[in-house]
Amino acid sequence: MNPVLKWLKSQIIEAFKISDEVMRGKAVETIEHEVAELDNIFGILVLGAFIGIPSPPIHITMELLPFMNKEFDIMLEKVLTAHDPLGHLFSVLGID
Amino acid sequence: MEPQLLFFIGKGGVGKSTSSALTAVYLASQPYKTLLVSMDPAHNQCDIFEQDFSEKPKKVSETLMVKEVNTDLWIEKYLKETTAQIKDTYKYETAFNLQNYFNVLQFSPGLEEYALLLAFEYTLHKYGDQDFIVFDMAPTALTLRFFSLPFITLIWLEELLTLRSEIYKKKEIISKIKIAGKEIEQDKVKAKLQTLIGNYEHLREHFMSDTTRVNLVMNNDKLSFSEAFRIRKKLLDISIGIDRIVINKVTPSENTEGIESEFKAQKITRFPFLAGGLSGYDALMDFISANTEEFQALEFGNTV
Repeated sequence: MNPVLKWLKSQIIEAFKISDEVMRGKAVETIEHEVAELDNIFGILVLGAFIGIPSPPIHITMELLPFMNKEFDIMLEKVLTAHDPLGHLFSVLGID
Repeated sequence: MEPQLLFFIGKGGVGKSTSSALTAVYLASQPYKTLLVSMDPAHNQCDIFEQDFSEKPKKVSETLMVKEVNTDLWIEKYLKETTAQIKDTYKYETAFNLQNYFNVLQFSPGLEEYALLLAFEYTLHKYGDQDFIVFDMAPTALTLRFFSLPFITLIWLEELLTLRSEIYKKKEIISKIKIAGKEIEQDKVKAKLQTLIGNYEHLREHFMSDTTRVNLVMNNDKLSFSEAFRIRKKLLDISIGIDRIVINKVTPSENTEGIESEFKAQKITRFPFLAGGLSGYDALMDFISANTEEFQALEFGNTV
């Protein structure tokens, strides 16, 4: 095959791959945000004691804490941006 | 064969420790391999047997061992293990921040009964070769919290597992679309929740098993009587029945019919009042031989 054609083909495939990835990313964007929200709720339920919310029996918190690095980060981050909840919602919905 | 578990519960000062010590000494004299465990943070088995006990069981006679649960030690051990696990999995800065919170968490209410539960679990596991394990429990409030802990914990764990499963399902959908069907890694939290549920169900079964007998110790007075009622009701709420009523410190002329008619479903044991109390292994043995009928009527042996 002509090297130029070969190059063109690989470029087209690459472009297609990228657009596929973008489309797939777009398709799950909302559900990803929903999962982050659920993760946050789960975090608050188990680790609420850390941000001043009554929590389950403390030993449950202790048992799960070692595995909840991510939820802990999400929860603390949400606490930091808690003064601007609409900003987050607008960015999910794509409103500038 | 699994050991029979005998719990002695009741209001503070009615004689749980003495009744459990007497029962343990009697069983050991039969001779069953018996372990007496003091779960009361204010231990007094050491005064009854006139010797020091610790977390490690001490042989009192050929077939009898006694140990005192040290709740502080259990809490400390547990916190140490959890801290080590956290340091393994958390990023450095997070772990660093966490330490401050963690130092406060150890004073949270609820850890004491959890420590008792850990000690209970450990005792069952480690001394499963005994015929009888006799538990001298703490006064009512802590004991009720201890008994209800597995039940309450299970309610929480099951709710958390439902939510976690929902999250996991959504994550699966995301990964299917994004990385075309590649398996996402096993959710560690979900796995831990399932393990915990398994453990607590096992504990709950232990509390409700036929080989577990709850002995409610009381005196023949109004306060003790009304507290006994409350204990019975609270335990029934979590489906734990009382097997026997031990009326302690009964004088010969005393009428115990009131208690007997209230607790018809339970066996009744009467321990006579002894001025000056009981202390020393020999005194316990003397008391048992002076009241042989009451002890023979305990009927524990027939079920082994």
